[in-house]
Amino acid sequence: MNPFVCLTIPAQAEYLDIVRLTLYGFATKAGYTFEEIEDMKVAVAEACNNAILHAYGTADSGTIELRLESGEEGMTISVKDHGQSFVFPENAVVPALLEQTEISEVTVGGLGLFLMEALMDDVQVRSYDGSGTEIVLTKRLSRKEEMA
Amino acid sequence: MKAIRKFQLYKHATEDENVVKLCGELDLSAATYLTAELNPLVKETERTLTLDLKDITYIDSTGIGIFVSVLKARSAMNAAFRLVNTPAPIQRLFDMTGVSRFLAVSPQ
Repeated sequence: MNPFVCLTIPAQAEYLDIVRLTLYGFATKAGYTFEEIEDMKVAVAEACNNAILHAYGTADSGTIELRLESGEEGMTISVKDHGQSFVFPENAVVPALLEQTEISEVTVGGLGLFLMEALMDDVQVRSYDGSGTEIVLTKRLSRKEEMA
Repeated sequence: MKAIRKFQLYKHATEDENVVKLCGELDLSAATYLTAELNPLVKETERTLTLDLKDITYIDSTGIGIFVSVLKARSAMNAAFRLVNTPAPIQRLFDMTGVSRFLAVSPQ
C-alpha cells in the first residue's frame, strides 16, 4: 500500500493554509524537492479554490476531501467536493494574459486551471453529475526516495 | 474559526506615492481584505500606487487576479501602478502566466 494522507475540511478559504501545510509535510517525507513542493502547494490550493468558490451555495455547509498519495510513479493529489458540478473547459486553458496585447482586453478567467496544468504533470477533472467534482493532480517523482 | 492572519499589509503615503507592503501568504482567504484595502488607493490617481512584495511568501491565481484588476483600473485612469521587490518564486509565477509583460515589476 502506498503511503497516503486524507484530510476533510470545510469548503472555506480559512483552511487553505492547513491544506498547504499538510501537503508540505507529506511531500517532504516523500522526497520531493523544494521547488516541486512549492508548485504542488499552489496547485492544491487552486483545486481547493474551485471547490470553495463554486461547489456550494451560501449555506457554508459543504466539505472538501483531499487525498495525498505517494507511489512509484509520483504524487497523486485528489480534491473532491460534493456540491454543484462545475463545468471545466475541455482543453488546456491558455489565459488571455498570454495572448492579449492590451491590458484592457485581459481577463483572468481560467487562471487557476492554467496554473494547475502548468505546475503539475497531469490534471484530471471528473464531474459527477450534480453531486460533485473531483480534481486529480499528478506530479511525477524526478528521483526515487523512499518514504521514511 | 477566528484565524490568525497569515497575510498582513502596511500602508505608507507620501506626497507622490501610496506604498503598500504586502506580507505573508496571499491566498483566497486574504482576497476580501486586500481588495478592501486597495480600493480607495486605486482611486487616488494623483499618487503612484506601489505594492512592495518583498515579504510575500505565497501567491496564486487569487492574488494575480487582484493585481490584474488593479492594473486594469489604474491603466484606464492613466495612473501609475508598480510592483517592487518581487521574490524570485513569485516572479516565476508572473512569468508563467504572462502577467510580467503588463506589470512594471522590479525583482528583489
